[in-house]
Amino acid sequence: MKFAVLSCIHGNLAALEAVLADAQAQKADRIYCLGDLVGYGPYPNEVVERIRTLEIQTCRGCWDDDTVEGVNACECSYPSVLAEQRGLAAHLWSNREVSDQARAFLAGLPYSLREGNLCFVHGSPYSAHEYLLPETDAFVAVERVLSTGADVLFCGHTHVPYVRTLDATPVEITVRGPASASGEVRQFSASLKRIVNAGSVGEPRHGRPNATYVLYDTERVEVDLREVEYDWRSTCAAIVEKGLPAIFAWRLARGLEFAERAEDPTHVCTR
Amino acid sequence: MWAILSGVEGNLTAYQAVLADLKRLHSRLKAVYILGDLVGPRPESEALVELVRAGTAGLPQAAVCLGWWEEHCLSLHGLGGNGDPEALIRQHGADTVQTLWKSVPLATAQWLRSLDLGFYERDCMLIHGSTLGVHDCLHPETPAFELLDRLVRADAHRLFCGRSGLIFELVVESARVATTITTLDGPQPVTTLDFVPRQVVGVGNVGRLDGQASYILYDPSTDRVEFKSLTYGTSRGCGRPGKSDL
Repeated sequence: MKFAVLSCIHGNLAALEAVLADAQAQKADRIYCLGDLVGYGPYPNEVVERIRTLEIQTCRGCWDDDTVEGVNACECSYPSVLAEQRGLAAHLWSNREVSDQARAFLAGLPYSLREGNLCFVHGSPYSAHEYLLPETDAFVAVERVLSTGADVLFCGHTHVPYVRTLDATPVEITVRGPASASGEVRQFSASLKRIVNAGSVGEPRHGRPNATYVLYDTERVEVDLREVEYDWRSTCAAIVEKGLPAIFAWRLARGLEFAERAEDPTHVCTR
Repeated sequence: MWAILSGVEGNLTAYQAVLADLKRLHSRLKAVYILGDLVGPRPESEALVELVRAGTAGLPQAAVCLGWWEEHCLSLHGLGGNGDPEALIRQHGADTVQTLWKSVPLATAQWLRSLDLGFYERDCMLIHGSTLGVHDCLHPETPAFELLDRLVRADAHRLFCGRSGLIFELVVESARVATTITTLDGPQPVTTLDFVPRQVVGVGNVGRLDGQASYILYDPSTDRVEFKSLTYGTSRGCGRPGKSDL
């Protein structure tokens, strides 16, 4: 089986259509989506409708969550005041624009999906808001995969695709207690694990404006990081025309995050 | 020497028994930490808080951090907190909610709100659950990578915690992960990460069971943990320790 895994479409319909066409050309048997259908981009309802009618199995992203539940994070979730203002402006726009039908669809999305030894989440198994970056501590990364019971964890949220293979040697722990002062030695082992980040269809941040997604071959256990060209200029124009902050068109055209990043990417606001 | 306790849970008699035990060590004792669950659904909670805040002659002033019961007190009084009322009712029953409400009045809850989530001392983190939250229960059967995750998150060599109510010491002796990352630019060189030996220490529970209390002593200069279990009388006039198991 060949799976196409997409994430972070962010209301960019042109990018979604290009990725769907590429997945079809690559003979993908099934498509999974890791959420963030809305936010930043000009066509949230159209993207939700496309995903819904194609019956693509989708989990809930952080933007989908905020659109359903309302934004409930304080300034600690943003790397700067400027980023917070932009994020809130985009949220307010999306909140006005998203239809009741689309909102109801987002509200019904699960936080994770399973398929055999594969697990699909938006951010991490613990939160749609947690970032699993390539530089995330390797032991933390192994724990995130182990917590799902899967061998391969698919995630998005960072908008930059990567594959990370994690090969852990057995962990040795000495347990001491009142009844065993000298200590009992225990060993724990974990099989080879992988984290596959699907990048972003509609708001890439790898330095180019092209859409990204991944193909996963279950028999060959191979990952193909895909980069797909599309007419991103039309999306940029629609961002400006529809009254979204123009900065989102600027950064979409460059495939950049604007060099803003939270100091602690594993931090999740629990206010 | 540090005395580290947790889970007094409003049991004034139990706390007094531990204080009596600690007084025998007073010259060596440099710090007393109470890792949350100072209060609980017991009517003596208020008197216990007063005693802790007033301090005890001959002993260092106890440093207290938030625990599971404190978070629920804050939630009940509308002072924030991450207590889950459904979990409270499920685990302890609706009557307990009322008892907790009566045992910890608003003024005390406001003091609880001023408490920290935990403490950093030297290379140690002292906390009720973990940096994940007061509910996080680390114990001797916790999966190894979950322990590693909590230690990395805490950014500490020793993590002292009280949620399980057990006294234990887990030493992660060795661990290594080799990792390969492939991006759109191609595969990057393999990197390996070694885990420096670190410890998770359960500090026991003072007040949950009448007549039995446990806590630990820690000597930062020798890195030695000493488990302390004691039994004490619970009837009037028998509040002193009966036996100390060193």
